Amino acid sequence: MNEESKQAWNEGQQRANASYGAKRKRITIDPITRLEGHGKIDIFMDEKGDVEKAYFQVPELRGFEIFSLGRPAEDMPQITSRICGVCPTAHHMASTKALDMLYSVEPTSAAKKLRELIYSTFMLEDHALHVYILGGPDFIVGPDAPAALRNVLGVVDKVGEEVGLKVISMRRRLREFIAYLGGKVIHPVFGLPGGVAKGINPADLDGFKQLADDGVAFAEFTLQVFNDIVLKNEEYVKLITSDAFTHKTHYMGLVDENNHVNFYDGKVRVVDTDGKEIAKFSEVEYLDNIAEHVEPWSYVKFTYLKKVGWNGFTEGNDSGVCCVAPLARLNAADGLATPKAQAALEQYFGMLGKPVHHTLANHWARAIEMLYAAERIQQLINDPEITSQDIRTIPTATPKRGIGIVEAPRGTLFHHYETDEKGILNMVNLIVATQNNAARMAMSVENAAKGLIHGGNVDEGMLNKVEMAFRAYDPCHACATHALPGQMPLVARVWNKDGEVIHTLRRDSQVVGKV
Amino acid sequence: MSSRPKRLLLGLGNDILTDDAVGLVAVRALRERFGDTVDMVEAGESGLSILDHIEGYDQVLILDAMQCGQVEVGTVMEVCMDDMGMPSAPSPHFTGMPEMWELGKRLKLKLPEELRILAMEVAKPFVFGESLSEETAPAMPAFIEAAANILQEWEERCHA
Repeated sequence: MNEESKQAWNEGQQRANASYGAKRKRITIDPITRLEGHGKIDIFMDEKGDVEKAYFQVPELRGFEIFSLGRPAEDMPQITSRICGVCPTAHHMASTKALDMLYSVEPTSAAKKLRELIYSTFMLEDHALHVYILGGPDFIVGPDAPAALRNVLGVVDKVGEEVGLKVISMRRRLREFIAYLGGKVIHPVFGLPGGVAKGINPADLDGFKQLADDGVAFAEFTLQVFNDIVLKNEEYVKLITSDAFTHKTHYMGLVDENNHVNFYDGKVRVVDTDGKEIAKFSEVEYLDNIAEHVEPWSYVKFTYLKKVGWNGFTEGNDSGVCCVAPLARLNAADGLATPKAQAALEQYFGMLGKPVHHTLANHWARAIEMLYAAERIQQLINDPEITSQDIRTIPTATPKRGIGIVEAPRGTLFHHYETDEKGILNMVNLIVATQNNAARMAMSVENAAKGLIHGGNVDEGMLNKVEMAFRAYDPCHACATHALPGQMPLVARVWNKDGEVIHTLRRDSQVVGKV
Repeated sequence: MSSRPKRLLLGLGNDILTDDAVGLVAVRALRERFGDTVDMVEAGESGLSILDHIEGYDQVLILDAMQCGQVEVGTVMEVCMDDMGMPSAPSPHFTGMPEMWELGKRLKLKLPEELRILAMEVAKPFVFGESLSEETAPAMPAFIEAAANILQEWEERCHA
C-alpha cells in the first residue's frame, strides 16, 4: 500500500474504531474469497459477545476523473472498458451510448440490435461465471459445507465433470462471439457514436444461431440445477427467506416501453417496498433522482434516491436506500420480454411474492436473467436485420453533454461526460453498479452478522454466512473499489537483486482474528 | 525445432492503473528478444479467462504486479502454485487462478506442464495513470531480467 492510501485507510479505520469504543472484540474476516477484488469486514462485538456494528470496507481506485479530463470523448469507450477486467462490455456500452447523446446522433436500427446482441451475450457469460463459480459454491455446494469444499471443485463434485466442461465451453464460445464483433473482450472496439464498427457476415450466421440455441439450453439447464439443488431443499429455502437476509428497500432497473426488463436501453424505473412505481426517468434526469452520500468509514460514495432523501442505512419507503442488480431489476419491472424467462419469473414471484426482499434470491434472479439473455440473443440473431450493413449514422452535431445508462450484470451503470465544442472532456462522472448497491450491501452484512452471531460464538460457518450476504450481490470491486493491499493470501519466495531466493513468505488463505 | 515446447509469456495487469502494468511492460520489453520462440500475451482479466489463455501450452510464465506490503517495492517474488492454497491471489488479475488451475486439472484440460509466476511488489497499482511510478520504475530491469532468465533456461533446456 502506498503512503497516501495507507494514511487514508488508517484514518478511516481509526475513525471507525474510535466511534465504537475500546472494549469491543474485533473479528476480521480476511480476505473475502471468490470475489473479483477484495474487501474487508469488521465486526465489532459488545461485552456480551453480540454484534454491535459491522462494517464492510473496501479501498477504491483513485484519479479516474483527472485521468480522463482533457482527452477526446471518443476515446472513452476504450478507456472505460479498461477500468475493469470483469465487465469491460458494460462500461464500453454505457460509454458508447453517452457518445450517441454527446454527438446528438441516433444509431441505425441494425446497430442498436447488434449492440443489444453483444450486450446480452456478455450478460449471459458474466452471470454464468457468478452462478457456477463465484456464488454457486454457497448454494450448489451448501452454506454449511466446510470451507475446503466451498469452491468450484465442490461445485463440480456436486453437478458432475461434464457440467464443468459445459460451463467452460459455453463461456468460451460466448466470448469468442463478442470478440468476433468487438475484437478483444477486454478492449472492445465495437461501439461508435451513431452505431457500431462491424456487422455480421451472413456466411457466419448459422454458427451463431447454433450458439444462441445452445445458450438457451444451457440457461434452462442452469435453472433446473437451481430448482433441483436449492428449491427442493427446505433448509436452503428457509435460509433464503430468513430475516437475517431480508431487507425492504427501493429497487431500480432499466425497463423498455412495456416496463419489461431491458439490459441495454430504456428508462430507469424505481419501485418502492410495495413494488409501486415512484419514479421513471431518462438519462438527462438522473441527477434529479440519484445523489451520493459519504461515510467516514468507507471510500465508497453511497448512492440514494434524491427525492426520498438519505435517512441512514435504514429500510422502508422513507429511506432513500435503493437496490440494483438481478433481484432489483426483476422487482422494478412488470415482466420479461421472452417466453421461457417469463415463465421462470412467474414461478419465482409465485413462490416468494413481489417484490422479493430476500437478498439471497439474487442467485435465483440471476439464473432467470441468464435465460432471458439467452432467449434475447436467440431473438436478435434470428432477426432479418441482424446482418444488415447499415450499421452507422455519422455524427455531425457539435458535442456538449452525453449521458449513457445500461444495466451492468451488477446493476445500473451511469456514464456522464461533458466536453468543449471540439469534444475534449471537461467533466466526467461515473456511477458504477456496485456503488448503487453499496448501502444495501452494508446493511445486509450487518443484518446477517447481528442475526447469526450471538454470545461471542463465532465459527467459520457463521462467518461464511455473513460473507454470503454480500456475495449474493456479486459485488465487483474492480471498478467501484480495488483489491485490499497487503491482505491477500500468498505463499511466495523472496528473491534478491541477484536472482536468489532469500526468504519465503506464507500467508494463510483465510484469517480470523480477535483483538 | 519442431519438438520445441509450446511456450507462453503472459503479462497480467491494467495499463491505465500506473504500476499495475508492470507485467505488461515486461512482456513488451521481452517481445523482441523471445518473440520467435515464445507466444506473448498481455491480459487484464482474472480467473477463468486466464485458464483460457494458458490451456494448450507446455510452458507458461506469468508476470504480474503485487502488493503484499511485507517487502520493499521492486522485490521480485516467485509465487508457488502448489503452495498457494485454494482461494488466494497476489493481485486482482490473479484472483481465482489457483482455483481455476485445480478446476483445469480436475476436468483434464491440457494445462502447462510447467507454470511459473513472477510477481513484483509495486508502489501504486490503484491510481489511474499510464506510466510507472518513480518508486517502481527503477526496478523494471531486474524484473525483466528475472523473466528473461527463465525463458532462457527453458530454451537452453530444450537444446540440451
